[in-house]
Amino acid sequence: MPFPLRKPSHILVYILLTCREIGCLRRFATWTFKAMWHLSASRLAGMAMAMQQSFTVYPFDPPGDVAALRAEIRAFLAQHEAKLGVPNCWVVGDPEFSRALGAAGFLGMILPQEVGGHARHPLERYVVIEELLAAGAPVGAHWIADRQTAPLILRYGSDEAKERYLPGICRGEIYTCIGLSEPGAGSDLAAVRTSARHTAEGWRISGQKIWTSGAHMSHVMLALVRSEEGSERNAGLSQFLIPMDAPGITIRPIIDMGGDHHFNEVFFDDVLLPEWAMVGTRGQGWAQATAELALERSGPERYLSSHVLMTALIDAAGPDPEPQIRGLIGELTAELWTLRQMSMSTAAKLAAGEDPMVEASMVKDLGNSFEQALPQRVQALVDCPSTRDDDLARLMRALLIAAPSFSLRGGTREIIRGIIARGLGLR
Amino acid sequence: MSEQRTLLCDTAEAVFAEAATEGMAPIEAAGFGQLLVHEGDGGFGGDWGDAFAVLRLAGAKVPHLPVGELIVGGEISRPIGAFIRVAQAAGAMDAALAMSIDYVNTRQQFGKPLGKFQAVQQVLAIFATEAAAVNVAGAAAAAALDRAGGDADAALFEIASAKLRTNKAIGQATSIAHQVHGAIGFTREYDLHKLTGLLLDWRSDHGNDAWWADVLGGMTAKLGAAGLWHEVTRRADPL
Repeated sequence: MPFPLRKPSHILVYILLTCREIGCLRRFATWTFKAMWHLSASRLAGMAMAMQQSFTVYPFDPPGDVAALRAEIRAFLAQHEAKLGVPNCWVVGDPEFSRALGAAGFLGMILPQEVGGHARHPLERYVVIEELLAAGAPVGAHWIADRQTAPLILRYGSDEAKERYLPGICRGEIYTCIGLSEPGAGSDLAAVRTSARHTAEGWRISGQKIWTSGAHMSHVMLALVRSEEGSERNAGLSQFLIPMDAPGITIRPIIDMGGDHHFNEVFFDDVLLPEWAMVGTRGQGWAQATAELALERSGPERYLSSHVLMTALIDAAGPDPEPQIRGLIGELTAELWTLRQMSMSTAAKLAAGEDPMVEASMVKDLGNSFEQALPQRVQALVDCPSTRDDDLARLMRALLIAAPSFSLRGGTREIIRGIIARGLGLR
Repeated sequence: MSEQRTLLCDTAEAVFAEAATEGMAPIEAAGFGQLLVHEGDGGFGGDWGDAFAVLRLAGAKVPHLPVGELIVGGEISRPIGAFIRVAQAAGAMDAALAMSIDYVNTRQQFGKPLGKFQAVQQVLAIFATEAAAVNVAGAAAAAALDRAGGDADAALFEIASAKLRTNKAIGQATSIAHQVHGAIGFTREYDLHKLTGLLLDWRSDHGNDAWWADVLGGMTAKLGAAGLWHEVTRRADPL
């Protein structure tokens, strides 16, 4: 028999197939098949499955009583119902709402109790944030601090930084922004030129950041700057915590096409920082900042920005919609459900301490395309002239205008697809 | 993946290698018809997650053979038929993706491999993401079937979502696979059509896009806006 005996299990398959050839009962073949599991489990440990897989599924299994946790956050949301239903809600800040969330124990969930956190599992936090986003809660004030700045300070920050910022973040009182993009460094982030100069009194920051979301509401910026004079590209960069009220900082608003003020230009004119403001290792800013991006890109906010429009569509359609609308709702449901499974699996992989850079990029790209197309899909089917002024029409219009930003923020679609392509072995 | 399932997949791959030329006989003889039969009844005692993993491989290695029909046995209901096609499509799509990546990394034009061109990289990223969506949706539908004890009606929400999402992905993935392969992929001689031709057939089998969109849209409309989110979370949360 031309059977390649390359692996332990193949020997068993050989026995099994031989049994068949000499006319053994199918029952015996089944028994042999079964025995293989028990016999070879230990010998086969670590043997990779031969076939390539585009996405490895990780079970989403938070510890504790998930139903109780959902009930808790839903009860909180019910108490704040008047504030919900906001489109693109994770860029809309409401400090009062953030403080209430903090007081209820829903911020800094994954931080240790010593710094004011709640020592919960990352997947418990995931349950809470997906509920907030699905409800359209105005979480923008604290979003970046809770999602990525606090975990980064906890991991790399000095003791002073931890003491100064983490308890306030957990209370929903301290907000942060991310200083990455500059006029000459957009998608090409390694081109940053803002500099940090080491002096006898501390660090001196000079330069400019742009497209800084929430800078005007933030207490501190986590910035990526060039700390080694003459360094090139991704070498010689370090991360710094820059208090937004420090002398020498100027914040200038940039009004977006919807008339809203989310992002800003921020100028640094020889801003003095103490030694402890540097985060992590000098010169290792690039590695720290890119690791931070996995936290930034994998979350449920990458597919739920337009969710309130989907719910408004379902509300308006009623329990027995006409066939075309029913079909659209069906398609949207399938896409939403699939994205949620992908997002949960990626969160579980991240929580297991692995690096889901490619999976996170897939969730972000697919999620952005879904939430971006949603208002246009509604527009194509539902009659919403510009004079119509109910919930559905209002949300649709707001999201039509906000949607172009979905595939720009947090890494453009093209950059994200480039990361996926690299994961496929194409670059 | 559990060690048991890894072993099961390894076995399936070996058997499918033989079945590629010999047809169903080796698969039947190896006892795959007993995969879902309870251990007490002399069967294998596998779950729907096992069936998904085996069918995924079948979709890649022996897409022309009725392996799903053998595993399920008897008359196939539309939801179960749809699940089988989703699982096969997950494997076939990953296999077509692997062929495409291999091709663009080998074929040279303008003095470099096609895979070095950004235009090619960007569409293959879309392909990979679509294949990923099908794999995740299929695995989640299998989990729902296990949770429902194999009752396809109780897992209809997940099966409908998975088949509809898969149908959509098949459209995108097959066109990209052919586009990056150029003319060679359009020949009888080259194996790509053995995957893409069947993928396109599977899109119609056991409910096309419109059929499942209508089923799922009807379910969601009845749930209502808040009900949808509650249902989506309830169905996946640990019991």
